[in-house]
Amino acid sequence: MLKLRSSGLSCGVCANFRIPIPRCYMNSITTSSIDVKPKVPLYLRPPSFSASLSELTKWHKWAKNLASSVGSSFINLDNGPDSTLLRRELNWLLQDLIELQYRSVILSRLESGNNENPDVSVALRAPLEEMYCVWRQRIEKRRPFQYVVGCEHWRDLVLSVQEGVLIPRPETEVIIDLVEGVALNNAPELAQSFWADLGTGSGAIAIATARALATHARGDACGRVIATDLSSVAVAVATSNVQRYGLQDVVEVRKGSWFEPLKDVQGKLAGVLSNPPYIPSGDISGLQAEVGQHEPILALDGGISGTNDLLHLIDGVASMLKPGGFFAFETNGEQQCKFLVEYIENEKPGSFRDMNIVSDFAGIQRFVMGFRR
Amino acid sequence: MATAAMGGGFMNQIMRSKTVSLVGKAAAPPWPSSYFLVSLKRKGIGFQLYCCSNINNNNSNTYLTLKDEELMRQCELNTFKASGPGGQHRNKRESAVRLKHLPTGIIARAVEDRSQHMNRASALARLRTLIALKANCCLIDMNEVRNPVSLESYSPPPELLQILPRNSTLRRSDSGPQIGPNNPKFILGMQALLDLIFAVDGSISDAAKLLGMSTGALSRLILSDDSLWKAVNELRASKGMNPLK
Ligand SMILES: C[S@@+](CC[C@H](N)C(=O)[O-])C[C@H]1O[C@@H](n2cnc3c(N)ncnc32)[C@H](O)[C@@H]1O
Repeated sequence: MLKLRSSGLSCGVCANFRIPIPRCYMNSITTSSIDVKPKVPLYLRPPSFSASLSELTKWHKWAKNLASSVGSSFINLDNGPDSTLLRRELNWLLQDLIELQYRSVILSRLESGNNENPDVSVALRAPLEEMYCVWRQRIEKRRPFQYVVGCEHWRDLVLSVQEGVLIPRPETEVIIDLVEGVALNNAPELAQSFWADLGTGSGAIAIATARALATHARGDACGRVIATDLSSVAVAVATSNVQRYGLQDVVEVRKGSWFEPLKDVQGKLAGVLSNPPYIPSGDISGLQAEVGQHEPILALDGGISGTNDLLHLIDGVASMLKPGGFFAFETNGEQQCKFLVEYIENEKPGSFRDMNIVSDFAGIQRFVMGFRR
Repeated sequence: MATAAMGGGFMNQIMRSKTVSLVGKAAAPPWPSSYFLVSLKRKGIGFQLYCCSNINNNNSNTYLTLKDEELMRQCELNTFKASGPGGQHRNKRESAVRLKHLPTGIIARAVEDRSQHMNRASALARLRTLIALKANCCLIDMNEVRNPVSLESYSPPPELLQILPRNSTLRRSDSGPQIGPNNPKFILGMQALLDLIFAVDGSISDAAKLLGMSTGALSRLILSDDSLWKAVNELRASKGMNPLK
């Protein structure tokens, strides 16, 4: 059954922030029959609520104080967010909450503490009571900000996310730079055939890759992307993100384990990309609360050394790629990168060329990439 | 701080690393080969700026007309090194980006956007503005290396015409719709405007006359963009004039 760690969050006024677990599926055998309904992120909901400017100001002051009260206690506890970051998140929450037309006026009023016209009514995308509730969840339960607003900004995309789906990380944005800057620049013909994103989560890599293929394809033969995931929530959320970007004809989301749903394209793929779970099991309990207590363990735990899934991917990738095809995998850091490159050199001699380790923007060796010979 | 020279970042690292032979398309950086250090001293505060030896209008325009990728290739990118292993371990939006434009030494930052990618885009947009403005700061103190705008037969360049409001008598039907501060081309117009205001010693009314518009209309245009407004006031301050309000 679908088990979400956050389902323990209780808060009377915001029942719609809980994932509905359908009662009628109790005797279903596989998780695939669970009907996961993707939630609408805050910024896409209609502005059908309102509050007076003074009520909004009062909430904002309260929320800011709550954020400030954290100080650096979360940093000391588990390297979590500090007040500065939480206050920045509060500004982003306001951006998503307030209807667009008067947003900048209202935001600058809140910022300046100017209290003229306190009775003026502000259109909101959720009731203010819910905002009290979710901000308390953010601070007291350490519920990730992205689950609170239901989206994450990633590259030039805004992706819906919810409990049960990994929040895409800024580091992973670099995979798309590799697709464009290394693979497609070097071998433009790769833009015309099939790519795969394994363990797609929210669909981030698949969607951004599809858009990159469209920009790089010459003529009308544009490549396609197949995205796979074992999690039903991920499949549902990725599918809805794909639709929101109008890519349903380009990105196909399939449910299943790693290469298993890709038998029909064996040996035909132009590219295989993945950010598989890579955290060593022993590190899971020490993760910051936002990650360890709220994000799906299926997306994080990579076995004792963290490389279970990466090794499985490396074992399969040569037979999935066509000659000249490209792969890039995200890893936990330098140690895993070096281990994987060594593994490939010893176990798959001659299968790949131009293998390389690439660092993320923080200078940590993060990705292993190469081309099939 | 972690530093990655851009092209974007990983490209150069790949080019530096030993195993690789695949990156064929990264073009040679197009920045000019000779720089010298210019010290600007104003109000007792000294600050330094690397300028190209022949800095002039055309030269900073050369940077400003570069495509984003090309300008990015002239930059060094820094992000703040996250403590700990990052990646899946972490949920912290520390996507601060700092871009240093190597040819001019100008630095632009962005932290407030919600993705790394967008912070990079904001930093780059900010860099364009700074290049336009600082190139001008240089000119203030480096009068002699600059070809003055010829005031007798002044006719505004097309990039300046584009940012003028409809009621300017110099706007022609082929000047297109008015471009606002959010359009990347605004910066080029802004630079041409600053050149003109510099040439008329900071006088808004003289500049307005040459542009075929009222002093009020030109003031409104200047006030419509914070960085333009600040640059004009800096320029006026350097000539001992009151700031525009
Ligand atoms: C670290 S997350 C990455 C999600 C997304 N690609 C991203 O970068 O944001 C790993 C993903 O792999 C999926 N996953 C875990 N085991 C899997 C398996 N055996 N087959 C397919 N996907 C799996 C998880 O559900 C999760 O969505």
